[in-house]
Amino acid sequence: MTTPTPSPASPASADTASLAVDMRSIVKAWPGVVANDHVNFEVRRGEIHALVGENGAGKTTLMNILYGLIRRDAGDIFVNGKLAHIQGPRDAIALGIGMVHQHFMLIPVLTVGENIVLGREPTTAGDIYDAARVRQEIGELSRRYGLTLNPDDKMGDLPVGLQQRAEIVKVLYRGAEILIMDEPTGVLTPQETTELFHVLRGLRAGGKTIIFISHKLKEVLDISDRITVMRRGKVVGHLITATTTEQEIARLMVGRDVLLRVDKAPANPGPVALAVEGLTAASDSNVPALRGVSFEVRQGEILGIAGVEGNGQSELIEVLAGTRKASSGRVLLGGKEITNLSARAIRSRGISHIPEDRRGAGLVLNYSVADNLVLGRQRSARFAWNGFVLMLNAILAWAKRLIAEFDIRTPTPETRARALSGGNQQKIIVAREMASEPLVLLASQPTRGVDIGAIEFIHRRIVAQRDHGVAVLLVSAELDEIRSLSDRIAVMYEGRIVSFEAAETPEERLGLLMTGGGRADAAASKVAG
Amino acid sequence: MATPSAPTTERTASADTPTPLSRVIAYLRPMGTPLGSVLFAFVVGAIVVVATRGNALLAYESLACGGFGIFCQNGENTALQLSNTLVFTTPLILTGLAVAVAFRAGLFNIGAEGQLVMGAIAAAVVGIKLGTWPALILLPSVLIAGTLAGAAYGGLAGVLKAVTGAHEVVTTIMLNYVALWASRYLIIGGPLQAPGAFNASPPVAAGAQLPRLVPLNNNLLFGLPQSVFTAYTGIFVSLFGAAIYFFIMRRTALGYEITAVGQSQRAARYAGISVRRTIVVTMLISGAFAGLAGAVVLSGLSHSLVDTYFQDTTGFDAIAVSLLGQNTAIGVVLAAILFGALHAGGQVMEADAQISHNLVFVLEALVLFSLAANFLRTFKFRLPAFGRSPTQPAELEAQDVVVGAADEPG
Repeated sequence: MTTPTPSPASPASADTASLAVDMRSIVKAWPGVVANDHVNFEVRRGEIHALVGENGAGKTTLMNILYGLIRRDAGDIFVNGKLAHIQGPRDAIALGIGMVHQHFMLIPVLTVGENIVLGREPTTAGDIYDAARVRQEIGELSRRYGLTLNPDDKMGDLPVGLQQRAEIVKVLYRGAEILIMDEPTGVLTPQETTELFHVLRGLRAGGKTIIFISHKLKEVLDISDRITVMRRGKVVGHLITATTTEQEIARLMVGRDVLLRVDKAPANPGPVALAVEGLTAASDSNVPALRGVSFEVRQGEILGIAGVEGNGQSELIEVLAGTRKASSGRVLLGGKEITNLSARAIRSRGISHIPEDRRGAGLVLNYSVADNLVLGRQRSARFAWNGFVLMLNAILAWAKRLIAEFDIRTPTPETRARALSGGNQQKIIVAREMASEPLVLLASQPTRGVDIGAIEFIHRRIVAQRDHGVAVLLVSAELDEIRSLSDRIAVMYEGRIVSFEAAETPEERLGLLMTGGGRADAAASKVAG
Repeated sequence: MATPSAPTTERTASADTPTPLSRVIAYLRPMGTPLGSVLFAFVVGAIVVVATRGNALLAYESLACGGFGIFCQNGENTALQLSNTLVFTTPLILTGLAVAVAFRAGLFNIGAEGQLVMGAIAAAVVGIKLGTWPALILLPSVLIAGTLAGAAYGGLAGVLKAVTGAHEVVTTIMLNYVALWASRYLIIGGPLQAPGAFNASPPVAAGAQLPRLVPLNNNLLFGLPQSVFTAYTGIFVSLFGAAIYFFIMRRTALGYEITAVGQSQRAARYAGISVRRTIVVTMLISGAFAGLAGAVVLSGLSHSLVDTYFQDTTGFDAIAVSLLGQNTAIGVVLAAILFGALHAGGQVMEADAQISHNLVFVLEALVLFSLAANFLRTFKFRLPAFGRSPTQPAELEAQDVVVGAADEPG
């Protein structure tokens, strides 16, 4: 039963009682935009319900309304069949609603136990923190739902997956029956995601209701029972997971057919453009992040770097872009050494960089689209007379050209970058970095947090760069992206490249290599660089 | 990609068709917060006056009289009041620019006063020691010396910040004291003390002095001897400084980089901009403006280095000026005129309304308070849509589209 039509506001019936959450005709308007336009959203008790949609579709607004963080303009909320008056998170918590935010609300210097009970600490007579009772209560919760945690560990020492687990236990500790999970897998490794799903299934078996917000379609298909799809503030479909497909969800989300695979001709590699030899570098916390990385990228090919985040990919790109110093090793651009040159010098020699942190490192958010399109080239002869006095007309003309060429949806070139959607912000960076006609393009998480339509566009542009003879180094946490774009794949693990693989390498094998497995036969399957 | 897929297009469509009214609103919008904060200050100031059994209307009338020569009760001379306001405004513009340029780079220069004092010292030294030079060379030399001394002094804080990471707020505050005591040392028992004077240097040579707007003699002008009109041509130096500031910030790659560093050091660094270098250059420029202010006042008004800097608040008023002026050239000039008028008016208010001129500092503090606390923003969002919650979650990019688009003038 795949009904991609909005269901009418369901009349109160016997069915209502089995609904954990029933939001009816919710309206929320911001000045000039309707974030939720008469949204009906029903979640059955004891199910995992996925809420999917692109950035800005209104799913976070809807959930913030349910959790009391935002007040709605109109509409009713029923929780467990009863009309709920939710004025703030306090009311939502009292109704048994808990939210696990995308960005954890944890205090790193406190222990796991202290974090979990924060705000309602059990005390003994004399108002003294009762550590023993905390341990016992958390132990009980952990056992019941299979959420293994040591209450005495310091929160800051735990990996992200366990921190998230602590967030879940914290919500359960406050008596939540309905859990809202906002993009919970965004920060997790594939292994941690598997564990999370195991936990979520356990919670469902224990009678909890889970609302799972995501835009990762594979995960949604894997974990959910039913799916609600939103687009531009409206619900555009209710789906039953068992009977739907990735294609169908994507079509509903975007409003048209989407090419989920990248069309590309075989690569036609030329001479080596970028060569890296035995590169080592330290991370921000001064531990070795790169432990001898060597590879080559040829003109007209895309080398994809696969790996679980935090295995040195970010540091590698930063060293190549000149924003981090290498402690040893060499970087050669077209045979000439460029190791540890300044970011400006590296840029001027023809290396472009799409940084992974779009909003923080790629854009000056309060600058206009036009100003952002010349960022890094503001002193070039093209835009500044004598490298000093800006030629505003030249900048504006350049901006207009790139806005058209890269389909950047902005009201005017003077609009601040902050005001654009994530996809359009990313297009600014992509346009700027590609339009400088680089020899080498470093693309780090080029489509993270970007809507599907923009992903398709950016992928095609990256392939076009390759066909134009640019050497592309692609880093992505999305294995799908790596596999569909790359001509060769280098797998990174703990600061080393553990294997070079062909583009067709099965996901399972890459997953194994990414987590340190399968290294014994890595040498045998090495694809010549 | 002909098919419209991103939601942005449709959502911005409504905001993209400006009506004449919306254009005017968009243009005036940046002025809302500063004007609102001034209004707030005057309202609360009136309450203070009334609570202390004063006449608020009379107080503000006499302030307006003292500042702009309007609403005068006791036959004050309008031209004289305007002249006094200009005298206060002149250094406020330059120090306001000094603080503003630092703010643009995300730096808080509390040391404008110290840089001003250093500028005044350098100007005094040049104006006294090289007094035999012809005016055509001497006067520019005096101003340039002050500018360079201020730049060096501001740059010192910049270098410290760039090299050791020492916070500019701490270093500039400390450097203020060094400059203040240095000035006192120089003129009390130090090498610049004038023979026979207790705490002043000799005056700079006539050729080192910025001319007055009206010649110094006792001919009558607007019914008063010309000698009482102390306004001097320093105001043109200040306005020239504002023009330079505008040019640097709006039309040069340097201004672009300064603002980029202020907005996002990370993005600047990734774009190949040297953050350290930009910080140093910014503090050099900042100090230069403040140092020029010191030189201008010395050369145009006080003529000798005198021991008044411990009471002088120009370098601190500058913070209010730049905040109220929203770090724009025109805003700084307007804010400097306002604060200049308030300071000039305070004296008349004390005489006419028997209210301490310290009320001016209360008003200034209230303006600063409301700008810093930024609570007027709450009203801004409430007014257009009654009863609507002002909460705006930052993660939601979609609603930013329209808000942001409306912020763009034109």
